[in-house]
Amino acid sequence: MSAVKNTRKLHQWLMLFIGTQFVIWSVTGAYMVFFDIDYIHGDSLVINHQTKINPDNIQYSLSSLQQRYPKAERVTLSTFINKEVYHFSVENKKYLVSARNGKLLSPLDENLAIEAAKHYYSGNGTVVDVELFIENPPFELSSRHLPAWRVNFDDIGAPAIYVSEQSGLLVGKRHEFWRLFDWMFRFHVMDYQDSEIENNLLFWFALFGIIASISGVVLVYFRVFKRNKKAVRFKFVNKSGIA
Amino acid sequence: MQWVRKIHKWASVVVGIQFLLWLLSGLYFNLMDHTKASGRTYFSHNNQMINIDKNRLLEPKDVLTKFKPSISITQIYLLTEPYYVLTHKKGLYQDFENDYSLVNAYTGDLIEIDEQFAEKLAKQSYNGPSDVRSITLLQPPLTDIPKQKNATWQVNFVNDINTSVYIEVGTGRLVGYSDDNKRFADIFFMLHFMDYGNEGSFNNIQIILFAFFTLWLSLTGLIWTIELGIRGQYKIKRFQRK
Repeated sequence: MSAVKNTRKLHQWLMLFIGTQFVIWSVTGAYMVFFDIDYIHGDSLVINHQTKINPDNIQYSLSSLQQRYPKAERVTLSTFINKEVYHFSVENKKYLVSARNGKLLSPLDENLAIEAAKHYYSGNGTVVDVELFIENPPFELSSRHLPAWRVNFDDIGAPAIYVSEQSGLLVGKRHEFWRLFDWMFRFHVMDYQDSEIENNLLFWFALFGIIASISGVVLVYFRVFKRNKKAVRFKFVNKSGIA
Repeated sequence: MQWVRKIHKWASVVVGIQFLLWLLSGLYFNLMDHTKASGRTYFSHNNQMINIDKNRLLEPKDVLTKFKPSISITQIYLLTEPYYVLTHKKGLYQDFENDYSLVNAYTGDLIEIDEQFAEKLAKQSYNGPSDVRSITLLQPPLTDIPKQKNATWQVNFVNDINTSVYIEVGTGRLVGYSDDNKRFADIFFMLHFMDYGNEGSFNNIQIILFAFFTLWLSLTGLIWTIELGIRGQYKIKRFQRK
């Protein structure tokens, strides 16, 4: 019985020090698996438009575009708010030009950014505010998408739609559920100092956590599976009227 | 407080072994070589300079009219030639289901990425020993890359870690790399996410149930620990009076 007692002591003492992280792991883990990851990614915040190009509307040719921008790379012809446009890059800068009349639409002004965000957004919320990020993006937007407009909507989860100022493309869709998920993940991997998953804190907690849970599994074995056998024997003894 | 102990005991009966697997796989993620586990040991960026004759490019308008309606037409390069990708059905992400036509941008001919083309494309970004063992056309789901939902060529190289390079049939796009190091790491991801059906997701029903029981396990453990503390059970023997 002393082995079980020692195991119990070990389990109790280890959990006194690392138990809080176990609670954090289980709460953050539960959050991450309960919410569908596509929902977390904000897939339901946007409409996946399937607007087709009407070739008859293309009045501005690729060759005219190339004469105007000889260094244009990665040219795409698609639609922007249901109108035919060219997307392309010159060095690291992106451009948006109407394929109907050749008009330069980029960089997007505030009104056009709002119009685009409303077009992408699937919800019923109204626009609360608009902000242009040239540098230092909020943590929910990768800096490679800069410069970008952030359009906030008044709806459940405070959704934000990010529209590239240069290309007019949808570059981000975030709501509180994503923001919370990001925090949950950091707590889950014990990323308390803005480092990575390879941090020492996580290593030691996981290592002692393994010892603590092995001791827990041992206790389960003795107190649930072994005890049942003992209980059966005890009953038997009782019936004989000895004990 | 009897119910706290009961819940703690029975919750640990249910999740005990998985709990250990979570910790062991978690520790593995903490210690693993992330470069190796990415499967990109023999990957190098292909920075080949391509000189195309822009005057020979067909007008997108003329290409569009020859095919079924398109959402977009994009100029890309495969090997050293320019192509147009026409998107007829657009997934929210590249890996989601899409429908494309690939067209030679000089001639307007419809192109199919066949075995030989896929092999050349795979070799372009691959910098290991160049012998190819086999090339297989895979339909989703792909064991190595479950999130990819489009038909993909698997180009298998002969090397010490069995690298596979994945090329999308519809566009010639490099979908990803995999090798034995990544496949080994994937076992731990499967264990951690309880993704025993290889859906490439951690939103499966078994992990949702286990996460629910684990919540009860850890919260009752917390209450129990506090209770032990209040009852004065945490004493160090040396300081205790005999």
